[in-house]
Amino acid sequence: MCLGAFYMAITFPNIPAAEDTATVKAVATKRQYPGALVVVEGIDGSGKSTQLYLLKRWLEIGGYRIHFTEWNSSPLVKSATRRGKQRRLLTPTTFSLLHAADFADRCERQILPLLHGGYLVLADRYIYTAFARDAARGCAPRWLRNLYSFAPVPDITFYFRAPLDVAVNRIVAGRPKLKYYEAGMDLGISLDRAESFRIFQERILGNYDQMIETDQFILMDGTVRVNKLQKLMRQIVGERINLDQFAPKKK
Amino acid sequence: MTRTDKTNGSSTGPNGRPSKEAKKKGRPEPPSRFYGTPLPGVKLEELSGTLFVLEGTDGSGRSTQISLLTEWLESEGFAVQTMGLRRSFLVGEDIDALMAENSVTRTTLSLMYSTDFFDQLERRILPALRSGLIVLADRYIFTLIARSAVRGIGRDYLHGIYEMALRPDLTFWLNVRPEIAFDREFKKAQTISYWESGRDMSLSNDLFQSFIRYQSLIKREFEYLSKRHGFIELDGEGSVSDVNRVLRKRIAAHLGIRSTHYQPSHALSHLWR
Repeated sequence: MCLGAFYMAITFPNIPAAEDTATVKAVATKRQYPGALVVVEGIDGSGKSTQLYLLKRWLEIGGYRIHFTEWNSSPLVKSATRRGKQRRLLTPTTFSLLHAADFADRCERQILPLLHGGYLVLADRYIYTAFARDAARGCAPRWLRNLYSFAPVPDITFYFRAPLDVAVNRIVAGRPKLKYYEAGMDLGISLDRAESFRIFQERILGNYDQMIETDQFILMDGTVRVNKLQKLMRQIVGERINLDQFAPKKK
Repeated sequence: MTRTDKTNGSSTGPNGRPSKEAKKKGRPEPPSRFYGTPLPGVKLEELSGTLFVLEGTDGSGRSTQISLLTEWLESEGFAVQTMGLRRSFLVGEDIDALMAENSVTRTTLSLMYSTDFFDQLERRILPALRSGLIVLADRYIFTLIARSAVRGIGRDYLHGIYEMALRPDLTFWLNVRPEIAFDREFKKAQTISYWESGRDMSLSNDLFQSFIRYQSLIKREFEYLSKRHGFIELDGEGSVSDVNRVLRKRIAAHLGIRSTHYQPSHALSHLWR
């Protein structure tokens, strides 16, 4: 299709184009690796995973040097997470720390080596998930920021936002039973799982919204048609990241 | 025996929700029991127990002293709860498994230890303190901070994580020279373990050298931490009975126990050297 033509035409300079706003954080400019990091964030049912999948397919088909990583997937701490969840042993603090340990594993063994090795890394959820979710559980935002301060700052953070009802209905319709922690049952908001889930997601949504400016999220309307939204996403990635450096080497 | 039953009693079970009967007896509240932001949901006025921490490297005699102090305090009628590293139900065994592999990285290991620590703090220590028990900690956040700091993790970062930890009433540091610690540890196991000698840090291929360098780095961190957090430094190279006498004296003064007389029971007499 015309995809090839689309990304080949892009000849934007380097990463800094993404942060030409005045509020660039010192860390963001001190990047010491040739790779780039694109993350998607948003509440469950906001459409972010679908969109990142399509972005990944686009880049994969084009033969780019990419790697896809998702939240909560490292085998090293999986057994502990599973035990904690099954037996409901987790408090807001240990829930947060265990996920941070898991993320650190992925960060130090996947994300950082790949960034240093010149990969374009795509992450389905990143540290902002922890900021939004763990703060909704009662962890202090300042403590959370410190906890994750070892994480590289993304080049682009797409924030997929869908109205609460739309997102919640997408999840509840597709799942017979919401899991205990997923529904925020540990917070004791409501004995009804669907109700608890809704209130929990509402809090998370509020926390995400507060980060739009401070963390330079790119707001994506999750109610827009999938292919239309994907077109926009690809365009933004092409504008802000020099994709040539990840392109397959020509002989 | 009823007394011993009570000691490890129901109040500290995994789901123990002790009653909120931490009645204030007009005792003035100590200044701040947390280093920074308190743990979510903790009411300080409920914590009527006392937390004593014993810190020191491997081979400093901590565990021996904890056993003896526990017996002494119980004989004085105090209920005791203990804690130590990797003892949490949540992740204790997982850390053992992680350390058996060579693929774990420093931040992950550091955060797994934090998880282990806070799980014990929330599920074991705080319930015990709410019930007015005495908690004896065989190592605390200081070892965790020191171990991570010598591996290059920022001290501010580490203090930031542990700012939600409870401040001990007294922290004792059993200070021993690395050479002495080596002798003691070697005698125990006829070898020196991978982690005790900091072999992940590539300090030396020789186990002895590696152990000495690693423990020296840890010791330097402890000297810094000792100043920052006001440790009571004890000569860990002294005899078990001498060290124990000093510990009893300081603890007795803190708890208002008049007599510090103690002779270990038959079961523990082998520790008394």
